[in-house]
Amino acid sequence: MAARDVGDALEAAGVAVRAAGDGDEVAGVRPRWVALPESAEEIAAVMRVCAAHDLAAVATGGGTKLHWGAPPDRCDVLVDLCCMNRPPEHAAGDLVVRAQAGVTVEALARALAEGGQELALDVPVPGTTVGGLLATGIAGPRRFRHGTARDLLIGVTVVLADGTIAKSGGKVVKNVAGYDLGKLFTGSYGTLGIIADATFRLHPLPAARAWVTATVERPVTETYGTWTNEDGLTFETLTTDLAGSLATMVPAVTESPLEPSAVEMDWPDAEGPCTVAVLVEGAAAAERAKALCALIGGALSDAQVTEEPPPWWGRLPEPPAPDGPPGPLGAGTGAGDGDGGEILLEVRNVPSRLAGSFVGPLTAAREAGVHAAVRGSLASHVFHVALPPDTEPRRVAAFTGGLRAHMETDGDGRVVVLAAPQEAARRLDRWGHVGALPLMRRVKERFDPDRRLSPGRFLGGI
Amino acid sequence: MSELERLTERLTAALPPDAVLTDPVRLRTYECDGLTHHRATPGVVVLPETAEQVAAVVRLCGEHGVPFVARGSGTGLSGGALPRTDGVLIVTSRMRRILEIDIPNRRAVVEPGVTNLAITEAVRDRGYYYAPDPSSQQVCSIGGNVAENSGGAHCLKYGFTVNHVLSAEIVTPDGEIVELSAQDPGYDLLGAFIGSEGTLGIATKITVRLSRAPEVVTTLLAAFTGIEAGGRAVSAIIAAGVVPAAIEMMDALAIEAAEAAVHCRYPAGAGAVLVVELDGPHAEVEHQFAAVERICRDNGAFEIRVAASAEERAAIWKGRKSAFAAVGRISPAYIVQDGVVPRTALPRVLAGIDLLQEEYGIRVANVFHAGDGNLHPLVLFDDSVPGEAERAEAVSGRILDLCVEHGGSITGEHGVGVDKARYMPRMFTEDDLDTMQLVRCAFDPRGLANPGKVFPTPRLCGEVPGVRRGAHPLVEAGLAEQF
Amino acid sequence: MDPELIKDCVHCGFCLPTCPTYVLWGEEMDSPRGRIHLMGQHVEGTPLTDAMAGHFDACLGCMACVTACPSGVRYDRLIEQTRAVVEREHVRRPDERAIRALVFALFPYRRRLRAMRLPMRLSRRLQPFLEQVHPSLGAMAELAPDAPRPVRLPPLVRARRRRRARVGLLTGCVQGEFFPQVNAATARVLALEGCDVVIPPRQGCCGALSLHSGREAEARRFARRTIAVFERAGVDAVVVNAAGCGSSMKDYAEVLADEPGWAARARALRTRDLAEFLIELGPVAGRHPLPVTIAYHDACHLAHAQGVRAQPRELLRAIPGLELREIGESAVCCGSAGTYNLFQPEAARQLGDRKAERVLAAGADLLVSANPGCTMQIAASVRRAGKGEIRVAHTAEVLDASLRGLGSV
Repeated sequence: MAARDVGDALEAAGVAVRAAGDGDEVAGVRPRWVALPESAEEIAAVMRVCAAHDLAAVATGGGTKLHWGAPPDRCDVLVDLCCMNRPPEHAAGDLVVRAQAGVTVEALARALAEGGQELALDVPVPGTTVGGLLATGIAGPRRFRHGTARDLLIGVTVVLADGTIAKSGGKVVKNVAGYDLGKLFTGSYGTLGIIADATFRLHPLPAARAWVTATVERPVTETYGTWTNEDGLTFETLTTDLAGSLATMVPAVTESPLEPSAVEMDWPDAEGPCTVAVLVEGAAAAERAKALCALIGGALSDAQVTEEPPPWWGRLPEPPAPDGPPGPLGAGTGAGDGDGGEILLEVRNVPSRLAGSFVGPLTAAREAGVHAAVRGSLASHVFHVALPPDTEPRRVAAFTGGLRAHMETDGDGRVVVLAAPQEAARRLDRWGHVGALPLMRRVKERFDPDRRLSPGRFLGGI
Repeated sequence: MSELERLTERLTAALPPDAVLTDPVRLRTYECDGLTHHRATPGVVVLPETAEQVAAVVRLCGEHGVPFVARGSGTGLSGGALPRTDGVLIVTSRMRRILEIDIPNRRAVVEPGVTNLAITEAVRDRGYYYAPDPSSQQVCSIGGNVAENSGGAHCLKYGFTVNHVLSAEIVTPDGEIVELSAQDPGYDLLGAFIGSEGTLGIATKITVRLSRAPEVVTTLLAAFTGIEAGGRAVSAIIAAGVVPAAIEMMDALAIEAAEAAVHCRYPAGAGAVLVVELDGPHAEVEHQFAAVERICRDNGAFEIRVAASAEERAAIWKGRKSAFAAVGRISPAYIVQDGVVPRTALPRVLAGIDLLQEEYGIRVANVFHAGDGNLHPLVLFDDSVPGEAERAEAVSGRILDLCVEHGGSITGEHGVGVDKARYMPRMFTEDDLDTMQLVRCAFDPRGLANPGKVFPTPRLCGEVPGVRRGAHPLVEAGLAEQF
Repeated sequence: MDPELIKDCVHCGFCLPTCPTYVLWGEEMDSPRGRIHLMGQHVEGTPLTDAMAGHFDACLGCMACVTACPSGVRYDRLIEQTRAVVEREHVRRPDERAIRALVFALFPYRRRLRAMRLPMRLSRRLQPFLEQVHPSLGAMAELAPDAPRPVRLPPLVRARRRRRARVGLLTGCVQGEFFPQVNAATARVLALEGCDVVIPPRQGCCGALSLHSGREAEARRFARRTIAVFERAGVDAVVVNAAGCGSSMKDYAEVLADEPGWAARARALRTRDLAEFLIELGPVAGRHPLPVTIAYHDACHLAHAQGVRAQPRELLRAIPGLELREIGESAVCCGSAGTYNLFQPEAARQLGDRKAERVLAAGADLLVSANPGCTMQIAASVRRAGKGEIRVAHTAEVLDASLRGLGSV
């Protein structure tokens, strides 16, 4: 199949096409064409051409997370949905909105704010589109109160690998007719189909917001001691645990009848202090924030109420500066042989193992000789961990392994590598063990039997 | 010896002595769930006590190519648990242990036969509850809730079963035990499974999220002269940026029924009552309550009552929650309909229902979750009057048409089941349905799990979409019905 | 089995979690909804099979389902009609017949019961042997309470203050023989609250056992006699302190529906449960403190059949120093249910164990109930659980202790 034929076929289908350039790489794999459809029908046309010519396609929106996940096994066409950005259909009286996949969450928020409403998700990556938000299932601080994209999505239109356009759900909040394909597509990394548009349930913009912030100087306490074995040899020991202030404060806040919307922490360097911030929303936000401040103040003396969020609020952690000392992995600066890409992990945990969320990253970072920045939700127990982009691949692998060992001991915690340079990713398992993987493979085989959509991008090589 | 008889022999050998029912008189008591006009006596009923037993039954069904249907408490209102005369009915009513209550992690692990309310009762003392509250919560099982993605009056603020289930152990249609967890990366199979009405497998262990009981719950009952005024009040409440925990509306006929059944003592002469519940931190609820009360008065509420105690709150809810069954007091027979419209379309749809009442000479009582546009028209008829049942059925169907025309759904919480499978094409295209079918084929390529539900004339997995000639193989095999 | 009453059931299932046998076995046929379905099958022409009769017999008649039913299904009427059909049409096993004959020849007759007191006490030691002979005999032996000192009540107890009412007191067969102190306490409480209490010495069985077992003719005979006795007493109301007796007396008009004259006389008879009556009357006697923690058990025939739930609690709470505790699953039957623990000993035992567990969990000093059957059943279950003797009392005894200032029950 000559390149021209394919280009012609796409153009004949009425879809704008251009040749791919350097900036169009998908996790290092360069496609040959970029298609720019403007409707679900045009996406379908692209997919039919792909089917006819056995081409693999990857969908993209803002391109902000295109380097996440594994590189595709093959990628011929990048389906860029940037042109799918008609103004959202906001039905304020029904508290719902329908938006095309290419609309950015910022544009959507502006449109909704005019009607005094919002999509109660704090998407942590600027420039993310509706489609990208759904494909990655990423969420922010208020997941504690409102859930994630899957919980707010009420309808979706998707285009399958064979060009079939299908919708599920609708534009009413309550609806149990048929399978909920929206949930299946949320977080599927574009491997089942291409999301063309989505309908969400909305919330009224809260009358007021207030934050309570406080600092924990040493989130992890370290106690040195000695231990003597039966042969009389004495060893030095180090016991690490969560600071008592955090251990009492976090459940007191999350379970408080004052109902905070989010409880977040920012820990830019695992060896340093950490900031805690609590969001309260509603007409009586100021009053409730004061009460929460008093509650937190009991454990952390510098607690204060602010009207503005801390600068890091609702964003992924910035990688720490790569100036760490050589770790136990041996010589080397820890920098220099990586390929400079983003290194980002997601950690899920359960409240009863709060200590692990702090001790885990700290210990793993020390063992692997890396610097780690941690940020995330103390209420929902989902955290992101960033490492310096130049971290040595073997140290990334060691850190990931160490963190898993800490977090996944009894089946409750999860560590997923969202983004890592290929060199590092080869040495680790991005997704970890998932029991339902065989069923997931079967779903993929049904939706995309010829593996034409983002092949290999998802767990288990799906 | 039929395939079913051969299977029954093996089931008897595989399960405890009293876990297999074959006596025809006993089998018939399982002929329907909460929707009584669809009936089929199951070929055999099994009452397993463990996931392993469920898996064994499902595997044996697979080996013999016999379909199976799961049933919990049998309270569903769409015939989702309608048995197969040629199949096995797997009843989870003996799997009702609460396996773990884990307050620090805000979760409880239960078997599927545990009732919805039993979870709340088990954790109430510690200040928690299980949020979804279908009206049948005292009897409906969590397994059934998972199958139907049940909601309830409070889902306006708190969402549905799918938003409160953290993980589920399921038996897949090939008899494997698989754990689906919201915590795991990968496809959200849990999200797809919840609400799949038993067509993707059987949940055998469910981990639910426990919610913190709100600091304050305020329940208000406002009486209006008619549903138009009540409807205006609902719109105004939403427009004011208030998200109540629940907003429920009942019309005069529904009030009459509830009064007859449970003596709820709603204000006399009310053409509609609105039950508004606000919950949350004290300071927040105070703000909202003032707004809601003012809005109700501005929109013509002639009496407003506020529950001063838990007993009074229960009394207000009692009328609403018993409304379905209570209609039995004022009508010999009735159909409970379940449709959804965008909230702003409510007045137009209610007017449309009025016209249908006149056109067909059939009374309709309206009970609805006004906050999210979920209507429960109760279509009343007397089955001893010839032709009335058919007219009621017609009205019931036309109401769904109204819902779809106004951009709504044919079911908000009762599910599609066997009852509404034929309405699915009114809401979805063939492509939509075929795409959903892909999920079905991934889980259940042989179509043995609750066949005939949800989808009209399912395609066989592997069959290429397009024009079909002759009878569908499933129809021929008696496994499906052509609509 | 009235098809119209059967049709009232809309199959919603709200009765399931309150049904003791469904709670035990989790089977549709052993739930009210399932039994009504079985009745429907029979009405449509399905013969009464052994299986069907077994499911009807397994019903305790606790009427919890009647309370739970939002559609107002008269399951109480339906099961009574059904039991009569079972009695007529179903041929029981010879051993079942013998046990039934024994029970019905014994319990409704006070003098025969009195004669049995000593042998029954001895029988407790023989329980393992009797259990082997027949589980029902074993159950009887296990349940038998210690024979108390006989109490002879006078035919009239005068009001102890200004007279506010003249009431009759039904002494009951089992209550009268095994718990005579309850009747004495009831009479004292009523007198202290300003009632003349007439206790007709020749009153017999009210017919509850027969009625709840489908022995219609026998039930009617007992009903007519009881009506006549209390008519002669000339009372404003008949006060009953045994829940099972009270509920069947309140049903007399329906039991005697085919005899219009008697039905009218039945309606004229004002039957009241003791607690119900005392609340209607309003308290005048002073309450003395009683520092005790009480777990109150709802007898089914009081709570479900008569809807008397709030009144006994209100009376108990009004006693200074008394702490009232609720028992988990309070709506579910303890398994006593009239003769149920004799005819269905296995199920009754399971239910008793369940109840005993919850009663013990309440951690009270004293278990209070308004039905002698429940008290015997729960006490036996606690004994079986190896938790020794639980202290039991009737509401009347607690009130009596408070009114007389005894300081303890």
